[in-house]
Amino acid sequence: MRERIVITGEGIVSAIGNDKAATLTSLREGKSGIGVMQHLQSCHHELPVGEVKLSNTEMKALLGIAASTEISRNTLLGMLAVDQALREGGIQHASGKRILLIAGTTVGGMDITECHFDEMVATGKANPCLLKHDCGSCTGDIATHFGIFCEHTTISTACSSAANALLLGAELLKAGEADIVVAGGMESLTRFHLNGFNSLMILDQEPCRPFDAERAGLNLGEGAAFVVMERETDALERGAAIHAWLSGYGNACDAFHQTASSKNGEGAYLAMKEALETAHLTPLDIDYINAHGTGTPNNDLSEGTALKRIFGERMPPVSSTKGFTGHTTSASGSIETVICILAMQHRFLPANLRWANQIPGGITPTLGENGKTLRHVLCNAFGFGGNDTALILSSRPVDDGEASSSSEDRQAIVAAKVEISSEEELAEIRHYVKPMEARRMGRIMRSALLSSLKVMEQVGISCPDAIITATSLGCLENSEQLLMQLREEGEVMLKPTCFMQSTHNTIGSAIAIHTGCHGYNVTYTQGAQSLEWALRDARRLIRSGKARSVLVGMHDETTPRFRSMMQQLDAEDLHPIHSIAMILTCGE
Amino acid sequence: MEELILELKEQIIKVLNLEEMTPEDIDTEAPLFGEDGLGLDSIDTLELIMLIEKNYGIKLASPAEGKTIFKSVATLADYVSKNRKK
Repeated sequence: MRERIVITGEGIVSAIGNDKAATLTSLREGKSGIGVMQHLQSCHHELPVGEVKLSNTEMKALLGIAASTEISRNTLLGMLAVDQALREGGIQHASGKRILLIAGTTVGGMDITECHFDEMVATGKANPCLLKHDCGSCTGDIATHFGIFCEHTTISTACSSAANALLLGAELLKAGEADIVVAGGMESLTRFHLNGFNSLMILDQEPCRPFDAERAGLNLGEGAAFVVMERETDALERGAAIHAWLSGYGNACDAFHQTASSKNGEGAYLAMKEALETAHLTPLDIDYINAHGTGTPNNDLSEGTALKRIFGERMPPVSSTKGFTGHTTSASGSIETVICILAMQHRFLPANLRWANQIPGGITPTLGENGKTLRHVLCNAFGFGGNDTALILSSRPVDDGEASSSSEDRQAIVAAKVEISSEEELAEIRHYVKPMEARRMGRIMRSALLSSLKVMEQVGISCPDAIITATSLGCLENSEQLLMQLREEGEVMLKPTCFMQSTHNTIGSAIAIHTGCHGYNVTYTQGAQSLEWALRDARRLIRSGKARSVLVGMHDETTPRFRSMMQQLDAEDLHPIHSIAMILTCGE
Repeated sequence: MEELILELKEQIIKVLNLEEMTPEDIDTEAPLFGEDGLGLDSIDTLELIMLIEKNYGIKLASPAEGKTIFKSVATLADYVSKNRKK
């Protein structure tokens, strides 16, 4: 029998409730959490948001953290959800088990950085908050707070981050690399990404209307959700109540555009197809779909097309619950996973709020229904750059009746390696990339793409089976440029080209777009350990036969300002630019 | 008008980082978007919206409005000359 993965505890905090019970009430009563900004310090009051109805001080009090401690809202949200999940899962101590924390996030400590940025630029003095700017340190702080985790890591694939955290958790459990995984994601609102999304002109000034013909964009939300995952046999052994099975998952890359989804939704289609295959289910087994459904004209059209390609005329009930929570970006995958579990447990279909007008030829979402038995549900989460992930949650185990696909253990070898550590080397990108494609790329993108293309050339492949990227700080140059723009011009339209290349996963997705690679694509960001995590994932893919060639890269850059600040804080010095690209193969 | 056209071409080259191009390389009448023209995409539309807001005080409510305006440098120059606030 295959090793089944179960979920035995959930924690959730979002605009519609500070815990699972409140979330359930809001969902059943059709009560949206989207409204006027209360906590975020932004001038954009015309933009509705899905804020968590707690101040940072209130969250600290709930967590027993001193009010004077400076800690990002993002980390606090994550801690609240992890705390609930651990309590519900009955895990208060490690008791000899290997417990692993996997978090998905993109903003990291940006909410604190943006508060201190002006003062740092004005005085030239570093604020220690910079040491907590990166995503990995948020996860690290959560792990330290609970003190039961033997390892932790962070995935950053923009809006599919949390879904990929769950996917990784399941794989690590199956591979026997952990006994219990607490996986999920968190994202707090920041001025940085609110203004960034605003400059992409995809924010609706009204509460969002996913899948409606008149939809005019998304509303940003915030929150966190984490789940306790373990092998079914272990859960039964310790007498834990099983809330759901994570029976399938798929990760694919649209490889189309940095911010737009392809017309036929190729990445979404491939991710859903793979999720069904790993679950050993057919489209007919799916009783409900929690769509990504952001409410942007592009996403909803593309996702609708992908859904039709999978389900044809026999479309199960579909809804987007972003009309309740807003788009909680990196956290959306786990928040919606918990919503799916609640729907299965309490036998109802969550409503697609505010839907009124049919998209011609598009899907018709459900407006909610009670008394529905849900056996298997599909939960989609898609990110910028086309990092698309689909999960399948089940209220009963899938009886596949087969032995596990016992692929012989393949040994992964590093077939080639290329390193770039100076800006002068970047001019060579001209030999590989047309000026029209290179024109937007900042240093880190050029360095990442150049090192990747050179290493692929060495082993003679034009498209790897999978792309795994590691970065400790991501696209710092663009992030700093946007923060400078906010400082100098105020909350105006930020430069869209810089914003779309400020997420960590923009690196891996640019390589996928260039090479046309639709395969597995994730980005790790866990400080200096990022590369080791990426390599571990690559070896697992090759060992299990899921990929024969994997492109792994670690890419980082720094700016003169950031570098001098980090030196003041005695942090490890960074190269202005540094890329390591490797090809791992099974040696055939 | 010729002056405005040249000015717009220079600004387009700058904001879109068309590094190796000069104003002479951009055909005034040719489509800016799509494969048979300059090959710009949706992010460029946003950059152009920012450009006309910053330099000419023209505000567009949605990228869809830009579709006809940004068809070519000629249509853009025509729209800017009629609607500019600065």
